Amino acid sequence: MAEVIHAQDRRRLLTLLGPAYLWLTLAVFLPLSAMLFFSFLSDMPGDAPDWGVTLGNYTQFLENPTYATLLWKSLKLGVTVTLFCIVIGYPCALVLAKSIKGRAREALFLMVILPFWSNSLVRIFSWAIVLRGNGVLERTLNWILPFDIRLNLMFTTEAVVIGLVHSYLPYVILTSYLALQAIDDDLIDAARSMGASKLTILNRLLLPLSLPGLLAGAVLVFVPVVGSFMEPRILGGRMGTYYGTVIEDQFVAVYNWPLGAALSFILLAVVLVILGAASPVLRRART
Amino acid sequence: MSPIALLGRIWLVLILIFLYAPILVMAAMSFNASPFYQLPFEYSSKWYSDMAGNEQIVTAAIRSVLIACAVTAIATAVGTAASVALFRYEFRGKRLLQALLFPPIAIPWLITGTAMLVFFFTIGIGRGTPAVIIGHVALALPYVIVTVTARLSSFDVTLEEAARSMGAGAWTVLRRVTLPWIAPGIVAGALFAFAVSFDQFVVSYFLSKPGDSTLPVLIYTAIRKGFTPEINAISTIIIAVSMAVMFLAARYSKFGGDR
Amino acid sequence: MSQVEVRNVTKRFGRTVALDDVSIAFEDGGFFALLGPSGSGKTTLLRTIAGFHFPDSGSIRIGERNVEKVPVEKRDIGMMFQNYALFPNMSVAENVGFGLRVRKVGSAEETRRAREALELVQLGHLGDRRPSQLSGGQRQRVALARAIVTNPKVLLLDEPLSALDKTLRVDMQIELKRIQREVGITTIFVTHDQEEALTLSDRIGILRDGRIVQAGPPREVYNRPVDAFAAGFLGEANWLSEGALAGLTLPADPSGRRFATRPEALAISAAAPAPGMNAVRGQLVQRVFAGAMATCLVEVDGQPWKLIARDRDIPELPGDGAVWLAWAPQDTLVVPA
Repeated sequence: MAEVIHAQDRRRLLTLLGPAYLWLTLAVFLPLSAMLFFSFLSDMPGDAPDWGVTLGNYTQFLENPTYATLLWKSLKLGVTVTLFCIVIGYPCALVLAKSIKGRAREALFLMVILPFWSNSLVRIFSWAIVLRGNGVLERTLNWILPFDIRLNLMFTTEAVVIGLVHSYLPYVILTSYLALQAIDDDLIDAARSMGASKLTILNRLLLPLSLPGLLAGAVLVFVPVVGSFMEPRILGGRMGTYYGTVIEDQFVAVYNWPLGAALSFILLAVVLVILGAASPVLRRART
Repeated sequence: MSPIALLGRIWLVLILIFLYAPILVMAAMSFNASPFYQLPFEYSSKWYSDMAGNEQIVTAAIRSVLIACAVTAIATAVGTAASVALFRYEFRGKRLLQALLFPPIAIPWLITGTAMLVFFFTIGIGRGTPAVIIGHVALALPYVIVTVTARLSSFDVTLEEAARSMGAGAWTVLRRVTLPWIAPGIVAGALFAFAVSFDQFVVSYFLSKPGDSTLPVLIYTAIRKGFTPEINAISTIIIAVSMAVMFLAARYSKFGGDR
Repeated sequence: MSQVEVRNVTKRFGRTVALDDVSIAFEDGGFFALLGPSGSGKTTLLRTIAGFHFPDSGSIRIGERNVEKVPVEKRDIGMMFQNYALFPNMSVAENVGFGLRVRKVGSAEETRRAREALELVQLGHLGDRRPSQLSGGQRQRVALARAIVTNPKVLLLDEPLSALDKTLRVDMQIELKRIQREVGITTIFVTHDQEEALTLSDRIGILRDGRIVQAGPPREVYNRPVDAFAAGFLGEANWLSEGALAGLTLPADPSGRRFATRPEALAISAAAPAPGMNAVRGQLVQRVFAGAMATCLVEVDGQPWKLIARDRDIPELPGDGAVWLAWAPQDTLVVPA
C-alpha cells in the first residue's frame, strides 16, 4: 500500500477515482440535494411563474393524517416482512452454514440467493398468477386437502406480505449465512467438549456471533420494504395503498413533485434514523 | 442423521419450493394454451410467437439489452479504476469515499429514482434513455467496486514488487500481473452491473419516457392494464436470462463459497 | 571495489526514522547478511536498495550507477520475497522467463536461459508446472532461479527461508550458498535468524533503531562485538557483574567497560580450576541434556549464566550445586559500558 505523497501519485489517484465519484455525485448526491431543495418549493419552477420557497409541503404531511397513517402502515409492513424473513431465513442459513458441507452447500447456497438477483418485478408478477382466485395455489390445495376451500389471496395484505418476503428473504439468508460461516467450527467443538447442548450453542455462541449479520440482513429488508410501491400495486390492489405508492402518485399521476419530494425526504429521514440506530452493531460486523 | 439435521434439511427444501414454485408456475403457464390460466394444462408456444410479433415488446427488449450493455461497459471500467485506486493508495478521506458507496445501495430506489427524475429534469437531461443509463451506472458502480475490491484484497502486493524487481514497468505489471489476477472479479462485477441494469425497474420507471420504456417498465404498465400471457412469455425469458447471468457471476466472484 | 554502496541514507515514514544516516558497502561477489530485531530497519534498508523506497537523503550506488532516484524496475536487481511471490497465473518457466521477456531478449533466448536457470536450481523438469503444484522447497528454488536469470548486479533476499520448516531450511541454506558461489553474484540477505546469518554470510551487519551497529566478518563480529547490544544479539553473552571482577585477568581497564563471556568458552567443574584461567563461583540451577551438547544454567553473583559444552566434557557435579566456571582470559569480551 502506497502513501500518497508525490504529485504524480495524486494525479494518478484523481484519474482513477475521479470518474466514479463524479458519476455518483451527478447521479445520486446532487439529485438528493436537488430533491431536498424541491421539497421546499411551493410549485414546480417550470409550471408556475410565481413559485417560492415554503414549508408547506412538510406541514401538509403534518396536517393531513392520511400521510402519517400510510407511513405507519408502511412501517408496520416493513416490520412484518422483516420478522417473517428472519424467522424463515435464519434457520435456513444455519442449516446451510453449519449442517451441510462441501459442494452440496455451495450449490444450495447459490440456489437460495439466485432468485434474489433475478427480476423482482417478474417474480412479484409470478405470485399474481399463483395467488389469484381459482389459481394454481387454490387448485393445488383443493387437490391435496380432503375438503374444498375457497382461497383468493390476490389483492390482500397477505399477498403483499408473501410477495415481499419472497423478494427479500434471500437478503437475510445471505448475510446470516456469511456471518455464520465465518464462525470457526473449532468454537463449536470447544463448546461441545465442555458439554454444551445444541440449544446452548445456538443461544450462547452462534446467535450472538452472527447477530451483526442477521441485523444487516434485517436492515436490508426493512428499508426497501418501507419504500416499496410496485409490490403493493400489483399484489395489493385496492388494499395496496402505502406510503410508497403515494410518493409514486405524486411523481407519475398527480405531478405534485414538491410534495413528492417532501414525502420522499421524510421517508429518507426515517430510513437514516433506522440505519443510524443499527450502525453500531453493523460496524462491529465489519471488524 | 439426527432429527434436528433432518428437520433442517426439510426446512431448506420448503424454502427452495417457496422461492422457485411461483417462477416455475409462471414458466409453465407461459406454455399453456389457455389465456386465463385454465387447467388442465395444454401445451402451446403460441404466446412466444405472439410475443415475438409484438413490436412494442421486442423494441423494449432490445432497448433493455442495449442499455444493460452500455451500463456494464461504463460501470465496469469506471468502477475497476476506482477499486484499484482504493486498494493501492492510502490517503485522507479514503474511509469517507468508501462509505459514500453505500447510499446508492442502501437508500430505497423509490427515493433515488424520484430524486434523479427531479434533478435530471431541472438540469435539462430530462427523461429518456440517456437518463436511464446515467441512473443505472450509478446504481451498478457500488456493486462493481465492492466486487473488484473484494477480489483485490486477496491480491498479494509482493507479486507486483517481484515483477518490478525483474524490470517490469507500471504498464507491464498492470497487464501481466495485476489484471490477470483481478480478471475474475472484473467479470463478476460486469455481470452484476448487467443484472442491476437489466432487472432494474424502479429507477427506469421514473426515468424512461412513455413509449420509450425498458422491458420491466413495459411489463409493469401491461400488468396494471390487465395482463396477457405474452407478458408471461417475456417474463419467463427475462428470469431465465438474469438467473443465467447471476449464476455466472457467482461462479466468478466466489462469494459465500469456500472454494 | 564494492558492488553496492549505501552512503548517509536516511529514510523517514511519517515521524518514525526507519533509517538513520546509514552508510555501508557491499563487496563484489560477497554474501552479506543484514541482521537485527524487528523494527531495526533491516527490511527498509533492503527495500531502499531495491528501490521500493526512495531515501529522504543520502545516495545509493549499484555497480557504477547512482540509483537513489531510479525506480525498482530500472535498477537491474534480483529479489526473492518472503512468500516467494510467484505469479499464480503463469507456469514455472513463464515465471522464470518474465524478467527476460520484459527485457525483450527474444523468445528463443528466453526459453534457453530460463531452462538454464531452472537447471541450476535442479528443477529443469518442472518448467510446465503451475506454482500451486509445487512444494514449498520447489517454489523457493523457482523464486531463486527467477531472481538470478537476468544476471542482475545484486541479489536481494528478504527472509527467503523463513517460510520453510527446519530441515528443509538447512538444505536450502546449503543450496543457496552453492548457487551464490557458482553465479558469483553480490548478495544481500535480510534475516532475524542469527544462526542463518552466521552459516551463510561472508559479512554481516547488525542493525538497531535504523542504524548499523557493527559490520564485518561473522567471526570478528562474534568475537569482538562493539557494544553490549551486538554482543547479546549475535550469540549469547554472560555478563560479569562489577563485584565479580576482582582477581580476574582482564584484557582492559575496567573503568567505563563491561565484560562478558560466550557460553561455549566456559568450562564447568566442582573444584577450583588451574591458575592462569579466569574463574568465578556459581550455583548450578539446571543441566539440560540435548544429545551431543548440554546446557548448564548457573547463577553467578546474582546473574544468570549459560554454559554450552559437549555433554561428555562436563564432569560429575556435586549434589549441592556449588560449581566453578572457568575460561581463558583472552576469551573475555570487552564492550564500552
